[in-house]
Amino acid sequence: MAKFKNVLFGLYDDDEILVDAVKEARNQKLDIMDVFTPFPVHGLDPALGLSESRLHIAGFVFGLIGAITAMGFMSWISVSDWPIIYGGKPYWAVLSFIPITFELTVLFSAVGMVIVFLTICGLGPGVTEKVLDLRITDDKFCLAFDVSKMEEEEQSELKKFFEQTGASEINTKTI
Amino acid sequence: MQTFSFASGERKFFGICMIIGAISLLITFLTDDPLNSRFWSNILINGTLFTGVAFISLFLYAAKIIAYSGWHTQFKRIMESYYQFLGVGLVIMFILGLGTVFGFHSLYEWNNEELVAKDPIIQGKSPFLNWKWYMIATVILGGSWLFIGRQLRTLSLREDKEGDSTFRIHKRMKIWAAIMLPLGGFTSAAAIWMWLMSLDAHWYSTLYGWYTLASWLVIAVAMLILTIIYLKSRGYYPHVTREHLHDLGKYLFAFSIFWTYLWFSQYMLIWYANVGEETVYFQNRLENYPVLFYANLVINFILPFFVLLRNDTKRKKGTLVFVSIFLIIGHYIDFFLLVKPGVHYTTNKILAMSGGAEATAELTRLTIPGFLELGTFIGFFGLFGYFVFRSLSKAPLVPAKDPYLEESLHHHVA
Repeated sequence: MAKFKNVLFGLYDDDEILVDAVKEARNQKLDIMDVFTPFPVHGLDPALGLSESRLHIAGFVFGLIGAITAMGFMSWISVSDWPIIYGGKPYWAVLSFIPITFELTVLFSAVGMVIVFLTICGLGPGVTEKVLDLRITDDKFCLAFDVSKMEEEEQSELKKFFEQTGASEINTKTI
Repeated sequence: MQTFSFASGERKFFGICMIIGAISLLITFLTDDPLNSRFWSNILINGTLFTGVAFISLFLYAAKIIAYSGWHTQFKRIMESYYQFLGVGLVIMFILGLGTVFGFHSLYEWNNEELVAKDPIIQGKSPFLNWKWYMIATVILGGSWLFIGRQLRTLSLREDKEGDSTFRIHKRMKIWAAIMLPLGGFTSAAAIWMWLMSLDAHWYSTLYGWYTLASWLVIAVAMLILTIIYLKSRGYYPHVTREHLHDLGKYLFAFSIFWTYLWFSQYMLIWYANVGEETVYFQNRLENYPVLFYANLVINFILPFFVLLRNDTKRKKGTLVFVSIFLIIGHYIDFFLLVKPGVHYTTNKILAMSGGAEATAELTRLTIPGFLELGTFIGFFGLFGYFVFRSLSKAPLVPAKDPYLEESLHHHVA
């Protein structure tokens, strides 16, 4: 059974106001649920205190797998499975394998990174994400708090926080 | 804005470097074979290397103007100082060119009449491979770089005083930069054919120009990183942050891979086709210079690839300095491999023709750079550093009225 969350969110008109609000929220030790923006906002990640993405490690590992696959497979074919002499070269002609090794490194790395990215974001064919407000894909910048377990007083303080930091709208939604 | 003061300690340092170089050249000259091949080839290696760094800095500078690049603006004076060295570098190349006219060195096989007379292949190339074209490449093509470099530098200095919101001067710099890019792209290839590729006169490769150009690029970026880090340690450039170094580190990484790509493309095609007149180039290097041949690849590809692959190593001074120093050494080795085998081959041939087997016996093959090579490199490094720092001290370090200065001050990449 899916758990429903009560979300209190404020919409901002500008990315810089949002970044300032995020910094203020972190100063006040408020527990931010998430931030939604129509485009990547510069400096938002450090303001949110997010650690650096580890996606590139996945990229490196997949690239390594690709390189080993290509080199290993071609070596196996041309040395033991079906050795053919061409152009007077040795069976294990490493240099002629390097272009394909390079190609497969790039291919594995790129495809692997896409799959990892979709997996950790929970995206895939047929997945629909519940959107707080449709305008966050257009021109609004949203800062959201999970208020499912909060008392009325705390919620009203959060609302005050939104007003102070210059939010243009304050809404609640259950998702 | 701050102006760089050329400290007396630095003058002394570069002076000592130059003295070491002069002594090394003198010793080389006195202990050399009858044709002075070691002496002249050392000058050729360092001359092309440092002239190339000056040229490629100008090229990169022009490319940045055309590409609306702003992040480099704070330290663009360093690039300007680099290409101010073109004047000195071209004088060195001009002296080598005079050598082909008057015959006081015999680096080039195509310049020896007796050898050419016996050689139908070089005869076929002699309409291009002769001293006239060598001088044209050096004086006219090199002179055109120097001329455009002077124009850009003058305009850049004028912008400091007269720059306004119409960006009139910057637009004029754009025109010169736009001329420089196609001109530099084509003429540098021609100059490289004359200066370096014609050392192996029977052999040619269409990739060679690009390959050498990539070498220059790596050295220039490595030197740029070292200069910036040094100047920062002296308290200049407070607003050049690790963000700028990160981007320069990316350049270093990318151009190293670009260099390897060209190295590999050239090597693999020749290896694959296995045509005798092409493979002779690599056979000579693989058989007689095996250590350097592999060291070249390890230092210039494997080391920067694995060190600079990570994000944070491009942002740390320590790793950047480490990689930059190694890449400068590595690309010196690359130039050594471009020049020495061909010169050795030619010298052997000429000596064998004139003096028989006895004369060739005394010519020892230098398979790795010796102390004299190192000393000469240090000498040229001192010369380069002296001129760069001198022209750096002549203008404000930060171009105050460059339209992109503000962007550079707030540069942020990660």
